[in-house]
Amino acid sequence: MSTLLPAGFAALTPFTDCWAISGSIARAARRGDAHPTDRAAFFAAAAPLLDAALTHLDTCPINALSPADQRLMDMMLTLAHVSLTEEILGDQEPAHYRQRRAMHITRTPAGA
Amino acid sequence: MSDDSLAWLGTDPIPAAPYHDPLWFGLEREAVFRRSWLQIGHVCELPDSGSFIRREIEVLDASLLIVRGRDGEIRAFHNVCTHRGTQLVAEESGKRSNFSCPYHRWSFGTDGALLAAPDFDRFFVDKADCALPRVALDICGGLIFVHLGTPEKSLRDDLGPYATMLDGFPAAQATTFSEYVYDIDANWKLTYDNFQENYHLRFIHPRSGAPAVGEDNPFGYPAKMGFHGPHRTQTIWTNPDPAPKPVQAQSFGRAARFAMADGTAGLHSRDYLALFPNFFILGSPAQPFSHTVWPIDAHRSRGVIRLYWKGEDDCASRRYAREYAMASARDIHAEDRDVIEAGQRGLNSGALKHIHFQAQEALCRHLFNIVYERVSAYRAELAAITPPALALAEAQA
Ligand code: FES
Ligand SMILES: [Fe+2]
Repeated sequence: MSTLLPAGFAALTPFTDCWAISGSIARAARRGDAHPTDRAAFFAAAAPLLDAALTHLDTCPINALSPADQRLMDMMLTLAHVSLTEEILGDQEPAHYRQRRAMHITRTPAGA
Repeated sequence: MSDDSLAWLGTDPIPAAPYHDPLWFGLEREAVFRRSWLQIGHVCELPDSGSFIRREIEVLDASLLIVRGRDGEIRAFHNVCTHRGTQLVAEESGKRSNFSCPYHRWSFGTDGALLAAPDFDRFFVDKADCALPRVALDICGGLIFVHLGTPEKSLRDDLGPYATMLDGFPAAQATTFSEYVYDIDANWKLTYDNFQENYHLRFIHPRSGAPAVGEDNPFGYPAKMGFHGPHRTQTIWTNPDPAPKPVQAQSFGRAARFAMADGTAGLHSRDYLALFPNFFILGSPAQPFSHTVWPIDAHRSRGVIRLYWKGEDDCASRRYAREYAMASARDIHAEDRDVIEAGQRGLNSGALKHIHFQAQEALCRHLFNIVYERVSAYRAELAAITPPALALAEAQA
């Protein structure tokens, strides 16, 4: 368990399975497909750690992250999507979900 | 902007037919799309000699091959083998030293010249006459434009003062981008218009678009508009007192810091350009997106949205800031699609003879005016040509 995430981020351990996602398309899809309760729980746990996580990750070369660091990176990238539901859209999310599915991500620097 | 200063655009109702009539669309294909510079890509897609991209221009039934030659020059060709017309390249992009036709293996260089063809001495033509058909190409602000007719003006002359503006937009320095694409059951003008008026912001984007509206400007009307030839510009008004959410504030804060460090935070952070006929680009350094609306038929279009970035992701914060900016722009664009399609369904019925633009929809009126002018001029040209069949009938009478 100790190597799942870098030191200081143990609070996110229960969320690694579901939210450490590779690829922007998959991250965007998970945001929409997740159960609202799970999504809210992930946001509540991850949002306060965003700044600390990026500060930690910025000290490592981006293309040579350890598996634990990569997991943390992927979770923060998923948080980017999830935060839009939790912070901005609120109860507009269900209507928005259907609209969003028509916007197909084809390319991102993080890997589509 | 005072309503009087826009009087030159007129105030009449706008005929509705051009937004759904297939005959009108057929005229637009030639009058507008074959006679304009069209934005199709970015120089960062062609980093090396031999780099190529294929672009489908459905509105003109054309497939284009854009290649960086051995001499470093970027050229555009029709993706069509000069032997018997086979499409030469199937991949969307790649890198090659030459292009060999899958049918009988004629092969072409990165400059379009026919290099070799099996058994060529049995043909009745010179190699020099078998080069790939060239398409006019020009570049401004890192953006690649093509012209599938005969350009009357170079791209920079056509853009006038907006060429210099484009040079100052973040996209001019881009080396990579994020992209998302949507198909929409709506006419290209109806779709495009949505993105050049702010009247709808408070209704369609009440939360995602909150930073662009405020108590003293509830509709988020622009601070400034400008026009040059068929093109136009607008300066976005921003709420001086926004209330960003914590993750949102951190995300855009990071993006803004990178833009400052990269020197992409230029003069135009609140400006956008709406370049005739179908290209839109925003100068914002944190979310520097472009949006091209491609017509497919009278009732269908495709939007291609790109966020242009300078430099590779060199650290986690930069990667994160880009993912957030893309996700957040995509959210806003997603909100527009449904309502545009609903508009098209209403127009398709033919129930309306006219639609209406208010003063703050001046950019929409300007687009319509230019399209109308170009189509009218093209119709006049057609009318001046006596159809050969008619001439023959007259001669025989
Ligand atoms: S059609 Fe291309 S070689 Fe024959
Ligand atoms: Fe909108």
